[in-house]
Amino acid sequence: MSLLLRVAVASAAHDIVPSWPLDSFIAVNPLAGSESLPFESAQSLGPLTRQRTAYLTDRKRGRILLADLEAAVRLRIPELTGSITIGDTTLPAARLAALELEHDQPHDAAAGPRTPTLSRLDEITSRWVAAFLSPDPLWPMPYREHGLYAAWRSLIRHDSSLAPGARRRLRGLPEGPDAGLAWALEQLGVPADDVQTVLALELQQLPGWASHIKWRAQKVGDIDLTSFLAVRFSLRHALQMPPSPAGPTPREHDPAAELRGRAELLAGLLVGEQVTHADTSIVARVLAAHPIRDHLFTWQLAYELNYRGRLLSSLSTERAPVERPEIQVVMCIDPRSEGARRHLETASTIETFGFAGFFGVPIRFVRHRGKGAINSLPALLTPRHTVTEAPHDHVTATRRVAAARRRDAVDRALHAGESGTATSFAFAETAGWFYGLTSVLRTFAPGLLARIREERLAGGALESSVTVADAFTLEERAVLAEASLRMMGMARFGQLVVLAGHGSDSRNNLYQSALDCGACGGNPGAANARAAAVIFNDPGVRDLLAARGISIPNDTVFVAAAHNTVTDAITLLDTHSLPASHRARADDFIREQSTAADRLVRERARDLPGASPRHSVTRLRRRAHDWAEVYPELGLAGNAAMIIGPRELTRGVDLSRRVFLHSYLPELDPDGTGLETILTAPVVVAQWINHQYYFSSINPDLHGAGTKTVHNAIGTIGVLAGQGGDLRRGLPWQSVGVGASLLHEPQRLAVIVQAPLETIGQIISRNQVLRDLFDNEWITMTARERNTEPWMHYTRYGWHTAPLPPAEGAHQ
Amino acid sequence: MNNLTKMTRIEIVVSAREAPSIRDLITSAGATGYTAVSGVSGIGHHGQHSGALLFNEYDTLTMLITVLPPDKAGDLIDAVREMLHGSSGVMFVADTYVSRPEYFR
Repeated sequence: MSLLLRVAVASAAHDIVPSWPLDSFIAVNPLAGSESLPFESAQSLGPLTRQRTAYLTDRKRGRILLADLEAAVRLRIPELTGSITIGDTTLPAARLAALELEHDQPHDAAAGPRTPTLSRLDEITSRWVAAFLSPDPLWPMPYREHGLYAAWRSLIRHDSSLAPGARRRLRGLPEGPDAGLAWALEQLGVPADDVQTVLALELQQLPGWASHIKWRAQKVGDIDLTSFLAVRFSLRHALQMPPSPAGPTPREHDPAAELRGRAELLAGLLVGEQVTHADTSIVARVLAAHPIRDHLFTWQLAYELNYRGRLLSSLSTERAPVERPEIQVVMCIDPRSEGARRHLETASTIETFGFAGFFGVPIRFVRHRGKGAINSLPALLTPRHTVTEAPHDHVTATRRVAAARRRDAVDRALHAGESGTATSFAFAETAGWFYGLTSVLRTFAPGLLARIREERLAGGALESSVTVADAFTLEERAVLAEASLRMMGMARFGQLVVLAGHGSDSRNNLYQSALDCGACGGNPGAANARAAAVIFNDPGVRDLLAARGISIPNDTVFVAAAHNTVTDAITLLDTHSLPASHRARADDFIREQSTAADRLVRERARDLPGASPRHSVTRLRRRAHDWAEVYPELGLAGNAAMIIGPRELTRGVDLSRRVFLHSYLPELDPDGTGLETILTAPVVVAQWINHQYYFSSINPDLHGAGTKTVHNAIGTIGVLAGQGGDLRRGLPWQSVGVGASLLHEPQRLAVIVQAPLETIGQIISRNQVLRDLFDNEWITMTARERNTEPWMHYTRYGWHTAPLPPAEGAHQ
Repeated sequence: MNNLTKMTRIEIVVSAREAPSIRDLITSAGATGYTAVSGVSGIGHHGQHSGALLFNEYDTLTMLITVLPPDKAGDLIDAVREMLHGSSGVMFVADTYVSRPEYFR
């Protein structure tokens, strides 16, 4: 029985997507468990589109055109490609269905955000789980080392918040979570055939905790969903709250009458009072192919087609400059890099590339002053290579680490003093004036405080190197270097190649990690850039690359850099390793990036709540240090597409920081291995990010974390909204909206590739993850082999000409 | 047979995302260990499966192999069969012989 119960738990949790803790925030598709099904089938987990009124507003303001609706209808229902005649008018059948969308009555196909209502049981469960998982509690949970269920079983008998009768009911609790869950289900009278359904419904009551526990069971191992459910159902028995049966019964309706009503309404609108029975019948035949339950999906597709069409039309066919570039900058595919690249390229000496921000070097990184290590690699990989930072002046470094440890000890003592029941008042009396002064400075002069901090750090900066040779063999380094160069289509090399990882700098921001590099496991990408630069500068690696047909000139030097996405400053790292011959080039880059960064900060100010392009760049950059700022930057809000191809497609085009850009040249990747890696890794990560933003916008209560202003952190594992309830998942409202409006446009990722269609088709067909994503329309694929060919849209049945935007003025 | 002891070998091929649940079942069934081979390729009921991917271990197939005494194998076989009802994957069961049975009990 026990093993089958474990199967029931695992099956009940199949669609629950693990959620990472705050300090390594990984964007995930909260509906990833349903990716093997068509996108439109995942409706049991909440609405999949916005409400109809939002689309109507977009239609009125021209964001969706009638032609987009028509194109969406044709794509979704190929049989509606012909024309029909009603009265004296002949029109495309698809337009008829599109016109209905503008005039149909509101319906509840996407009944608003579905938020579980918290019960007393939820509150109690949440309190126990939070107490168990809290990483830094003032009063550690007794018996914690025995696991959640065992600790809870030992303590629950003393929980005075439960009535004596409820506690009495728990006297028979067996040892061990499996037995506990089986016992509780039996006490509650759950039939064996219903167990899996009942467990699945139970997990949906506290989806935040369930998601985090699923992650923790796999990565930490101190808790699992069986323990969680054992506690939960035992409490149900104690409180005499048997599980409720499965969801509401579907509303009864008469489809024939509904269709007749729709047809009469539309025919009347089109023909007027002379409408005949034959007219209504013709309209009904068309509308029957487009039932009401599909309408919101057609609206969503039209919304996406409008953007995709405009994007494809805006792409350039500019040829690459033939002369050797002086400086090349490789930046992450993150949409925020698009703005930086566009502004950097206004300097004729600079050429830019896009590549996953871990630069193809998956590492576990240990800073010399850091506590522990960070997994700086995509969440798709398991860390296997540990890279450490070695300061050159070992004696000074040791002294500083010792000083840092002493400061940490003092900080911990102060924290204990300010939080202790007995000491907090005395602490406030004695140290409050100092804290008060710091708070005043933080509030009214954040820039000054930041300058003091930066000067202190700069004065104490020690030269260091990263120890790549210990982590990777020469052959491994050469393989990674070759793969990276072929994937990003880097066929020629300038004198200076800057590898710019990115990170975000903000204060008092629990979601800081969500603004760092997604390809680096929610960490800043500087460590990976440093490791990659060492690899590319390694003469042994270059010899092996030359033997494989990639020749890096002797005068090419790679240097790492860090792009701060709040200030847009790009700082060169490890400049001590730059040869004197390249310092002038580095100075050129610093000058150019400074100007480009100022322009980009002003450009971003147009969209940033509370900012204006008229503000000084100093004021705009102060957001990085302002502890009251809930919008330090907009992160990846607006992300909607990913372009994989040569920079010639996008150079000089303002993509408004909405597009992931991965450089790629099919000529350097004849067997398509590089493209397969791009489609199965960067595209998958971009899709996770895209769907995290999508569902945090569509359903902020269920799949988003709510407003930051009421968040309470439970260590680094997550946040609660207020003082209790479920652990919140997804992005906070300030990542996707402002006030009651969305900042983000929820659209499924449009992947656009310039590469042979046959290669793309083969790659999709041999990778289940891509078949699921593209065939089931979680994301879309548009491609062409060359500039001169039309864009084609991928479907599970083959390639079709992609709909482009209508001529200006048509079907407005 | 050459002083070998009869055991049951169970091989399960599932997506890497499902592998943690199967591993949990294997250890819960009392198996003393298992072998995991990630990035296995092939063609099956759901079509072609690429092998190891350079930067994605999460979306590949994993083969889990365990050996345990026949009296413990039945429960695990039932549990894995039940698990595979709801997701894709295959299980192969065969008799096998080991030289050091105490490693598997």
